[in-house]
Amino acid sequence: MENQVIEKEIEVNNLSFYYGDKLAVKNVTLDIEKNKITALIGPSGCGKTTLLRCFNRMHDLYKGNRYEGSIMFKNINILDKSVDMTNLRAEIGMVFQKPTPFPMSIFDNIAYGLRLRGIKNKTELQDRVENALKKAAIWNEVSDRLSTSAMGLSGGQQQRLSIARTLAPEPDVILFDEPTSALDPISTKKIEELMQELRGNITMLIVTHNMQQAARISDRTAFMYMGELIEDGPTDIMFTNPEKQMTEEYITGKFG
Amino acid sequence: MNYRFLRKIKGYIMLTLSALAAVIGVMLLFAILYKVIQTGMAGLNLALFTEDEAPAFMVGEGGMRHAFVGQIVLTLAASIIGIPVGIFGGIYLSEYGSGSKLGRFISSLADVSVSIPTIIIGTFIYSLLVKPLGGFNGWAGSAALAVILIPVIMRTTEESLKLIPWQLREAALALGTPYYKVIKDIILKSALTGIFTGVSLAIARVAGETAPLLFTSFNNKYLSLNMNEPMPSLTVTIFQYAGSPYDNWIISAWASALVITVFILLTNIILKYIMKRRSF
Repeated sequence: MENQVIEKEIEVNNLSFYYGDKLAVKNVTLDIEKNKITALIGPSGCGKTTLLRCFNRMHDLYKGNRYEGSIMFKNINILDKSVDMTNLRAEIGMVFQKPTPFPMSIFDNIAYGLRLRGIKNKTELQDRVENALKKAAIWNEVSDRLSTSAMGLSGGQQQRLSIARTLAPEPDVILFDEPTSALDPISTKKIEELMQELRGNITMLIVTHNMQQAARISDRTAFMYMGELIEDGPTDIMFTNPEKQMTEEYITGKFG
Repeated sequence: MNYRFLRKIKGYIMLTLSALAAVIGVMLLFAILYKVIQTGMAGLNLALFTEDEAPAFMVGEGGMRHAFVGQIVLTLAASIIGIPVGIFGGIYLSEYGSGSKLGRFISSLADVSVSIPTIIIGTFIYSLLVKPLGGFNGWAGSAALAVILIPVIMRTTEESLKLIPWQLREAALALGTPYYKVIKDIILKSALTGIFTGVSLAIARVAGETAPLLFTSFNNKYLSLNMNEPMPSLTVTIFQYAGSPYDNWIISAWASALVITVFILLTNIILKYIMKRRSF
């Protein structure tokens, strides 16, 4: 079928997720295509962010949460209890809704994830920090003030800094949780361009409320409703000729 | 029309009453400051800081050095005991125990402890560290001050940490950071000003305490650095001097009161300045 994923990076099989007793993600099976952008869309409370946060086990932070099913990544089930979080989160990074600069210098922000993995060599750190900042398209703006506080940057710059920090440990996958909803249109455009440039090297998942954004930037789109995956497929097909009535109604703005 | 008029009148009455109350409050504060400065200046001289107590009949001799040093030693020891316990306790309450029954229990207990009259803490330490050890000693004084410090620091630390948005913790965790490192590198650093302020205000508070020292470190006429013996303290010395019949002692008490007031005032002003100017 033309809708099929060509090369899988992540394979979600019958995944259910519970907040205590409340079932928030219902039996989702989904393939994530390697080095492409997959958008997760759906109305508020549909479980798309909850699903996204399963990929780096962010839910582990809170008590009473429970996963069922499996998420296969590099031939291991990342929901397995024995998975090392530091390694997993080096390979699957995350960018949040609001920019999250750490209270330290710009350099130390980017180097944080590298030092965590035991990289102490000064030249190597410098190279990799510079590289990450360049990839995140913020190097030109900050190269002359790397030792100043990251808190002094603008919101859009802080978000690109957060992306650079996520890029520094060279992850295979990046999860974006509404990365531009707190930003102005120009900063949003920069983030979207940046994602386009990273495509081909990194697998990206993005949760977005902005339908135009999903249509603009993603290769594949998955539509969720009430915790269930209704439909997924190539973005152009999802937006022009979806299989399910519900998908069409949501995309054309009839509900949501 | 009538209603509007009435409403305006009510408004003016409220404004006048609250302004009056504010003025009374501030005036009392200024009255205290005025009296302390006016009377204290008379006794202020170099000997106050360089000489120890002289017998009351030797008018114009002696100073309060022993009391200043004792106060500093007592407060320092109390801080060394109280600050780590308070900060680590606050970290537990905010980061590990929040939501748990034990955490909530300790937090409300700390709230109650803040309002315990300090003389009761003094008598408590008396039965714990003075009577069994056979006499007043500096450690007991510091322990009593630490008991006052701990719940205050614990709660302010907890509150400062809770102000840090959850997303910052999640962002650090999402890089693979272990939780203890998130607390150490990110959360504590973000909350540093709040914690620092809480700690300093708590220290400034115990530095002015008299009641908990009366039954614990008691007092000493001589300069002493031996914490196993009774320790002199500024507040208890002021208390004794002010109640004495000797004019020169009373003047010294006023002068010392001036010094301690200026010290606490300066601490507060410096802290507010630092808070405004923090870079990270």
